[in-house]
Amino acid sequence: MKDQGGIGARAHRIGGVGRVTGAQQYVADIPVADVLHAKLVTLDCAHARIVSIDKSAAEALPGVHFVMTADDLPKPMPRFGPEYQDRPVMADGETKYHGEAVAAVVADTKDLAEEAVRLVKVEYEVLPAIHSLEAALAPDAVLVQDPAIRRPGPNVDSNILSEYHFGWGDVDAAAKEADIVVEHTYDWPSQTQFAIEPHGFIAAPDDDGIVVWSSIQHPYQLQKTVAKVLGLPMAKVRVFAPDPGGAFGGKQHTKLEPLVAFLALRAGRPVRLILTLEEAFQAVRRTGARIKVRTGIKRDGTLVFQDFENHFLIGCYADTGDRVSAKGSFLSAGPYRTPAVRIVSRSILSHTTPTHPMRGFGIPQVTWARESNLDEAAIAAGVDRLEIRLKNLVKYGEEHVPGDTPADGDWAQTVRKAAAEIKWGTPLPQGQGRGIAIGVKSGPTTGLSYSTVRFLADGSAIVFSGTSDMGQGARTIYAQIVAEELGISLDCVAVVMGDTAVVPYDQQTSASRSSVLMGNAVLNACRDIQRKLRARIAEMEEIADAAITIDRGVMRIADREEPLPVVLARVLGRMGGEVVGNGEARKDAIAEHPLGGTALFFEFNCTAVDVAVDEETGETTVLKQITVGDVGFALNPVQVTGQDEGAAIMGMGQTLMEHLIWGPDGRTRNLGAIDYRIPTSLDLPKELHSFSIENADGPGPYGVKGISEGSLLCTAPAIAAAVRDATGAVIRDLPLSPERVWRALKERT
Amino acid sequence: MQAFRYLRPATVEEALGLLEEHGDKARLLAGGTDLVIELRNRWRTPEVVVDLKRIEELRPAIRVEGKRLVITAGTVMGDLERHPTVLERFPALAEAAAVVGSVQIRNRATLAGNICNGSPAADTTPPLLVYGAEMVIASRTERRRMPIDEFVIGPGKVALGPAEMVVAIELPMDRPIAAAYTRMTRRHGTDLASITLCCGVDSKGTTRLAYGSVGPRALLVMDESGVLADPKANREQKAPVLAALFAKASPSPTSMRAGPEYRVAMLPVLGARALATALERLGKTA
Repeated sequence: MKDQGGIGARAHRIGGVGRVTGAQQYVADIPVADVLHAKLVTLDCAHARIVSIDKSAAEALPGVHFVMTADDLPKPMPRFGPEYQDRPVMADGETKYHGEAVAAVVADTKDLAEEAVRLVKVEYEVLPAIHSLEAALAPDAVLVQDPAIRRPGPNVDSNILSEYHFGWGDVDAAAKEADIVVEHTYDWPSQTQFAIEPHGFIAAPDDDGIVVWSSIQHPYQLQKTVAKVLGLPMAKVRVFAPDPGGAFGGKQHTKLEPLVAFLALRAGRPVRLILTLEEAFQAVRRTGARIKVRTGIKRDGTLVFQDFENHFLIGCYADTGDRVSAKGSFLSAGPYRTPAVRIVSRSILSHTTPTHPMRGFGIPQVTWARESNLDEAAIAAGVDRLEIRLKNLVKYGEEHVPGDTPADGDWAQTVRKAAAEIKWGTPLPQGQGRGIAIGVKSGPTTGLSYSTVRFLADGSAIVFSGTSDMGQGARTIYAQIVAEELGISLDCVAVVMGDTAVVPYDQQTSASRSSVLMGNAVLNACRDIQRKLRARIAEMEEIADAAITIDRGVMRIADREEPLPVVLARVLGRMGGEVVGNGEARKDAIAEHPLGGTALFFEFNCTAVDVAVDEETGETTVLKQITVGDVGFALNPVQVTGQDEGAAIMGMGQTLMEHLIWGPDGRTRNLGAIDYRIPTSLDLPKELHSFSIENADGPGPYGVKGISEGSLLCTAPAIAAAVRDATGAVIRDLPLSPERVWRALKERT
Repeated sequence: MQAFRYLRPATVEEALGLLEEHGDKARLLAGGTDLVIELRNRWRTPEVVVDLKRIEELRPAIRVEGKRLVITAGTVMGDLERHPTVLERFPALAEAAAVVGSVQIRNRATLAGNICNGSPAADTTPPLLVYGAEMVIASRTERRRMPIDEFVIGPGKVALGPAEMVVAIELPMDRPIAAAYTRMTRRHGTDLASITLCCGVDSKGTTRLAYGSVGPRALLVMDESGVLADPKANREQKAPVLAALFAKASPSPTSMRAGPEYRVAMLPVLGARALATALERLGKTA
């Protein structure tokens, strides 16, 4: 019921006013009685051996409670991580990246803690730091990780953390059939997630357990990790996860929470640690990548083979670096029908910030390479760049990775829509150019979400969901589903999130899964309520269950229709009370699948752009950016457009200006906003248009698919293609800064 | 942030007295858009911060006195970018003021603070150099005027004694110069420039060029041959003259904003563009 804020309504964001007025309480704002303040002691280098730490002067400062070092933590140093348990609570004898904590100060105030940090004397020996693929793969390279903490395997004595081989067909045989073969290497720089709210943590002793606040995407994984590190039952670890102020993947997994928990336990009081933006840069980043692609086609543009060698430069601890390289690489060949594909993917350790997922999860890096190389092949063959894509695109229901989830949408419809909106084939003035690119990303490969919905006596409802609403608008989506299913208006629905002691388990908030998985759990909880109402009415009216249908908030018995709040009132009677529904949604793992499971759905996007290039300065202006996503069904069209535009702008920023810069010593040189530039409102494309293809063919409620990453997947190749179209300059590394474009213009042949 | 004493004098005299008392342990706060960041990050740890915002003499912002435009030390960028006289007579200064920081910063940041901070990338330095601005410097014993070209020394350094302060910046109104400001940045929104550049021409055919962010301080250079200001001279004739004016550019090889080779190559591009705008403006006033 759209008019009541149900599905399909352009409902206002729940919590939106608080967010924009500053009323929302983030971890930094939450009042906690008796709270102490922590500050990290770090070194001005990446890789160092810690010789000694003298904390006496700092601890002598009035108001400073203590300085904690690795010596104060259990031996051996507790380690944790989502895939590999390799991350220490604090640097253990050696720092492996610029910004890794060697000590932490706890004081009465933030200012005192800062002052005390300057009084901690750390004697250390700077060691050579690896921050490039070449250095990491050199035969005599220093090993970033001690083989003793590595999983046994063929690469344990190298900086290769993991190596994956995917593919089908015989690439070497197919290569003989190709009329045109194009091979190039494409670089994607390391970047940072740049959530406006830097990470924040609080921990407080709680009787014989602990309470942890964190701006985190996966509170239940944090609960499990803290329990394991502290040796507590999960029931004694309560995680509050206040809605994060942006996350973009950078707040998925546990980072400094175990350290803050140890600080709080030692202090016997709550301890808060709020990172600065500079420290947030040192907490997480997106992995850079170098992708070598060889594409073989027939003269008419038909794909014969694709051959990839992908190297992802991950940080010093695995975090999700291995998963990003594997999952990103698995779909290297894209949404195309290719008879032979070979993919080798390696994640490479380095003395840099641990890599966390970021919007796109490795797919933007491989898409940048594949789509750019496909353009080069098309140009070499004299085939239109749109035509080569349409020619090779798989049809609805056709597999693009043999044996895996087939195309779950009419993808050609998406591509044709983008082409029509950019007016593909029409001429452009001198100095302007046009590009088009396609991105496809697997949604979650496994998933598990539970939800509880309480239908209260007055016909209002509370929905409990373990999703983190980090700005994507999950609260609003669940409330819309409840409003629709229980036949009530949106303002009668409250959404409770972010408390592991109260809200049932959710695996995680990532991979654009929540509308689908948690959405289904919420839907199933509503259906559970509907079933209970139906059973009770059947009893009361002495009719068969089957004679009653309930759909979208209305009960029907023969010709009689009754809104659910009325049904509820009858069922509860004078005693009142409530009806509670529980729902579950799962995507089971498949042990033998290389990714642990098939894609639940695909995010499919086509982006087309017109650019103008200033040939004197190399400056690129995006005149028009068209993004079209296959969304299944827009449960809230305003939010769908908002997410899509957000990803498109983020993609444009990552294409044109964003990159982390490391010094020869491995220090991150552009820490913070001054020298790491993201687009402002003045840097937006002159025109940005987002379109949705809706065929209600997704696995989520009412045919929903996840949509929050799509338009970031292929922005870079679309813009670079347009720059080439405008100027003839070919650029294979990012960002497309004016200086880089200017150099390419000088070098063009 | 380290603790400091915060003082708020009501007069220039009082402020100068505080400077004399505390010497280099004191730091003046005008808009605070540089100072507060320095305090927060502990890059500066003054014992005393002297807030100038309540000093009546430093307001009103902008006035004409005889043949000078007086811009008091309390004048913020937002005042400049909107002021009718500035827009009419000194448009390049309005253009430079309009790109400093964001709207919020421009409502706070002062022109005098921008110059006294001594950043090689300060947006307002090149137009002030081109227009021949003078700094009005006060101490307990005297008030003196100094051309901005002598006042600006190098990164973070200006010719200001520990017991002195700038009370105003003055622009001569009897020397009509048609000028334009341009710059190069990494993005259109709030940014620090990798090149700042102002070009001014007068009716006698003299071209003044000031450029910053490509060396330790912004430089003022002149073409008195008349070639650059000559509307009949073509691109090929102007190019070598323009190139010679940028000979002293020495951009940092380690800057993250842009490489030195690129910056050097962009100077004549920006120079030619600003020159064209300046000539256009000269044509309109003639």
